[in-house]
Amino acid sequence: MQSIEGVVVIVQEGRFQLFDDDGVAHFFVLGYYAAMEPEQLQSLLRHRVRVRYSDPPDVIGHQANRLLLLNAR
Amino acid sequence: MDMPLRAADLCGNDLDGVIPNESELTAGVRIVPGRSYGFFTDTTLCIGCKACEVACKEWNNLPADHLGLTGDSYDNTGALSANTWRHVNFVEHGVRDDCGTPGQSGWLMMSDVCKHCHNAPCLEACPTGALFRTEFDTVVVQQDVCNGCGYCVPACPFGVIDVSTLDGKAHKCTLCYDRLKGGLEPACAKSCPTNSIQFGEVTELQQRARTRVNALHGAGVKTAYLYGVPDGPGATGGLEHLNAFFLLTAQPESYNLPRAPTRPANRVAPSLAAGLTTIAALAIAALSFLAPRKG
Repeated sequence: MQSIEGVVVIVQEGRFQLFDDDGVAHFFVLGYYAAMEPEQLQSLLRHRVRVRYSDPPDVIGHQANRLLLLNAR
Repeated sequence: MDMPLRAADLCGNDLDGVIPNESELTAGVRIVPGRSYGFFTDTTLCIGCKACEVACKEWNNLPADHLGLTGDSYDNTGALSANTWRHVNFVEHGVRDDCGTPGQSGWLMMSDVCKHCHNAPCLEACPTGALFRTEFDTVVVQQDVCNGCGYCVPACPFGVIDVSTLDGKAHKCTLCYDRLKGGLEPACAKSCPTNSIQFGEVTELQQRARTRVNALHGAGVKTAYLYGVPDGPGATGGLEHLNAFFLLTAQPESYNLPRAPTRPANRVAPSLAAGLTTIAALAIAALSFLAPRKG
């Protein structure tokens, strides 16, 4: 499973965007087994996280399967 | 007014927050909880630019889907889905006889969306209460409550709502619930360059739409009619009216809309009666077969 680190910049329901260290935005949808609910995502806004993800077919975006908070604000 | 988190992400302007009641400037309507809001989509003004689709995906942070070519006209989005809450139908409608170019196709374009029905069948079907009616008379799915059962999907007579294969939850247009709470016009209506999508109070929109139909009739477009207003097509079968209604110039089926949508709840009593009647008939038949015969 692929992994990426960055800062969460936009949260909308169960979807979020993450800026990596190169300033590239990556789009994620919180997956089935992410052990996290959409309302918990809001608390990760502007925090640095590591996301383990997979790439579902026919969608431009990633499915976030695990999120790890790397620093607190 | 508290600044929405999304607005705080914006930079590059001198404002210290969102403009209070911005919808008054952009749509001419103040958004007040307790009133009924919706869309009037005038398909005669739609040019198929898909700005509404893009604005919807941009604001709601929705992923692009249906990658590749459909091979079905210029419409590549295909249909409304869990990731596409606005979809512009491109309908090739015969050959035009009112332009100089021989063989020029006539096109019908319509920006389709959740209708936010007055009696919403999806809301009635939801067993968890995830679907609820907001203070703006719109219908929204609460993502943290939805368990992905999918009962709402067949309940919708318009085929709008869809369960995502990514997160297993039901998704559809929220009529930009978060924007309404912040006094902002929904993103799709704000981005529409021809004002084909108009946002406002439903009663005022219905009046505006009737005026527009009369104007079109006067201009010779006799086929113009409203879909989803009270006692009109699209508002049948107990739906009463649609908060997102349309001005059409062809049969509803041309736009992939049902001619006479109905609430599935209307069919519960007849179905129950039919089931009970069948059970009773089978019981009588069984008793008559098993009962000891005389002689």
